[in-house]
Amino acid sequence: MLLAQIIVNGVLLGGLYGLMALGMALVWGVLNIVNLAHGAFVMLGGYIVYYLFTTLGIDPLAALPIAMALMFAFGYLLQYVVLNQIIRSAMLNTLLITFGLDVVLTYLAQLGFSADFRTIAPSYAGANFGLLGITVPVAPLAAFAIAWLLAGLTWLLLNRLPLGRAIRATAQNLVAARLYGVNPRRLYAVTFGIGAALAGASGGLYGMISHLSPYVGAPLTAKAFVIAVIGGLHNPFAVVASGLIIGIAESLAALYVGPTYANVISFGLLVLILVLRPSRALRAA
Amino acid sequence: MRPRFVILLVAVTALLAIVPIVGSPVMVQFGISTLLFAVLAQSWNIIGGFTGYPSFGNSVFYGLGVYGTAIAMAKFSLPFGVGLVCGAILAMLCALLIGLPVLRLRGQYFAIATLGLSVAMAAVFSNIEIAGANIGLILPLTRADGMFYELSLGLLVACVLCVFWISRSRFGMGLIAIREDEHAAASMGVNTTLYKTMALVLSALFTSIAGGIHAYFITFVDPASAFDSTLNVRMVIMTVFGGPGTVLGPVVGAFVLSAVYELLANWISTAAALLFGVVIVVAVIFMPRGIADLAAGIRRQGISYLLQNIRRYRL
Amino acid sequence: MNASSITSPATGMAPLLQTQDITKRFQGLVSVNHVSFDLNDGEILALIGPNGAGKTTLVNLISGTLPPSEGELRFQGTRIDTLPTYRRARLGIARTFQVMKPFRDLTALDNVATAALFGQRGGATTRQAAREDARKWLDFTGLGHRADQRADALGGPDLKRLELAKALAQRPKLLLLDEVMAGLNAVEIDEVVEVIKQIRDSGVTILIVEHVMKAVRSLADRVVVLHHGELIAQGNAETVFQDPRVVEAYLGKRRA
Repeated sequence: MLLAQIIVNGVLLGGLYGLMALGMALVWGVLNIVNLAHGAFVMLGGYIVYYLFTTLGIDPLAALPIAMALMFAFGYLLQYVVLNQIIRSAMLNTLLITFGLDVVLTYLAQLGFSADFRTIAPSYAGANFGLLGITVPVAPLAAFAIAWLLAGLTWLLLNRLPLGRAIRATAQNLVAARLYGVNPRRLYAVTFGIGAALAGASGGLYGMISHLSPYVGAPLTAKAFVIAVIGGLHNPFAVVASGLIIGIAESLAALYVGPTYANVISFGLLVLILVLRPSRALRAA
Repeated sequence: MRPRFVILLVAVTALLAIVPIVGSPVMVQFGISTLLFAVLAQSWNIIGGFTGYPSFGNSVFYGLGVYGTAIAMAKFSLPFGVGLVCGAILAMLCALLIGLPVLRLRGQYFAIATLGLSVAMAAVFSNIEIAGANIGLILPLTRADGMFYELSLGLLVACVLCVFWISRSRFGMGLIAIREDEHAAASMGVNTTLYKTMALVLSALFTSIAGGIHAYFITFVDPASAFDSTLNVRMVIMTVFGGPGTVLGPVVGAFVLSAVYELLANWISTAAALLFGVVIVVAVIFMPRGIADLAAGIRRQGISYLLQNIRRYRL
Repeated sequence: MNASSITSPATGMAPLLQTQDITKRFQGLVSVNHVSFDLNDGEILALIGPNGAGKTTLVNLISGTLPPSEGELRFQGTRIDTLPTYRRARLGIARTFQVMKPFRDLTALDNVATAALFGQRGGATTRQAAREDARKWLDFTGLGHRADQRADALGGPDLKRLELAKALAQRPKLLLLDEVMAGLNAVEIDEVVEVIKQIRDSGVTILIVEHVMKAVRSLADRVVVLHHGELIAQGNAETVFQDPRVVEAYLGKRRA
């Protein structure tokens, strides 16, 4: 029963991890930017929801769309004004500039929000119910459901809407997309904005089931990266599903070999997958 | 290289060498860490700048150098020099072992796989009894900052000479070919596997010695600081800032950024990190090929070089 | 279909390159299917076929960029299909890439000098010698005037010349040319044809993959036709072009 409980916890947490990775995978796949500030975006989204809830009394779940809209605008501007300027230079440069952004955002968050741990705690935060002898916590369940919902919406956007077709065409061939009248600067900004919005949503949910601090970003970036690699960059459902793998692996590792090994497990899995199946990883690149 | 330039370099080195005699203790300590950073950046340059493999596993080599030296000295009472050799051997063996599988990966995948190894290594060392587990190890105390300084300077000179040789040799041309296009390199006869692995092993050698010197200098080691991946990020930043794939760029990058950071920390200590981030962002936008290229570009075409860079890389 | 029906020249020497039942599958998709042919010392063999016939894959198999799924490759009588790419290069196999792979950060001269430093054993050993060598090959391919420009400043036709110069600087015995004429105008094509003839006359055996039929007619001693990965015809150019299977492959069944 303990094992079943651990797996349920892992699955619910893994859905949220998957959502974090979704935005990163989208940006990586389309813009070829590995955004090292992605975790910082998650952190910012979390603080937006936190302050909407604590100062304006807006329910966290209702605040999610607002946080997503704000983060979209933030991501759009960042890409349009800054990242578009260097996007064609070496891959290391995009890694560095997003690392620089991560440093800046982390510092500003420390300045604006203080280094204290915060938790978004609506009345239902601690609620749970029993199902077949397993305790199902409500907040992670909601996060899990919203993760899949957003993955579904992302899939619809990419596969059924003209905007999504333009995004996918641009990912495959920038020159050809340009010939068909796509404005790549704006399209890149929109894509980066969507990635930031998804990060923002996952941040709000993360704040409900864990703690926020200005420093949560970097480890979450690493985790999102791992999941994006495992899930590939093209199918939103595959990304969220690989979030589950990491969630379960971490929960099991925390139980059986100690919590300090949680990161080792996810990175170990990653290295194993990369080394054993490099062709798959390379195709995605 | 022009003789005047060589004389200038020798003069600068000589000037650096007399710092412990004329400088204040604070200056010497700042010097040690700056020189070691320059070694780390230059070592990263071998695998990252010349070969084009963005390693985030150099912090593993650093950590192995730290622990190799620390264990030899604290647990077996071996002399410092033997400790350094132990650390270097450990790191080079590790480079050989992880290099063969991991160097099959490219680009971001290589970066993250090596990052994963550094995270894993930290966890492993915090569970090894002889390495002091979580608590770490304490080394015998010495008050010989002058010795540490000269040692660091000597290591940097050796490292720069090695990279100079690489830049002029067939080996280096092979590494550059791998960076530019690995398939094309192999099809013209470059033994890519061997070359990449050798580049990683060389990088590990200098990185681990720097780690060993630093360990004895601060006389205390623990897993978190020995396998710190942000240290690796700093190696990358300094190299890219100075000019990856050049002989002096990484050294200049390390000196300039260390000085900037030190000045910022003294001037407005609270916002130093913020400004550091801003400096990186601005630097990447205006000089995406590093100081080395900036210097050449400005001499060639003046200030319009900056705008030209943006025009070239923007969407 | 029968490879041995085309005999080696009267010298009786073994062919320079033999491919025997060479096959490449990509996850169930057969790209090259049991192809066997010989390449004789000193000849120019053209490999033609419609798009997707497996020509570039075959070049990749010979140069070592891809491992074969089945079959054997022999170069000067010794098995090479298990050798890594660089070992084949050192035996004397050089190639150009259809999708050009210049070293973009280097000058044209250093691109070629790198090739001269590596390539077949026994060439330039110092960078200085390699550069002198490289200048010679750049002049030969008509790129001498752009030697000091970075490769990423060169246009398409010049990049094709650069690919050729790099391959030549390796002093190959066997040269694999993968569509070196694509995108060139008529005058440039005539120039390249002349260059290739000179290369052959200097004793290098050449395999060309080409869509420009005029060039194939004027260059090829023999032609091998691939269609859907299979070798459907081989022989001299005139016979092959009249082969009904070849006409069908190029024009489609109905019109044949």
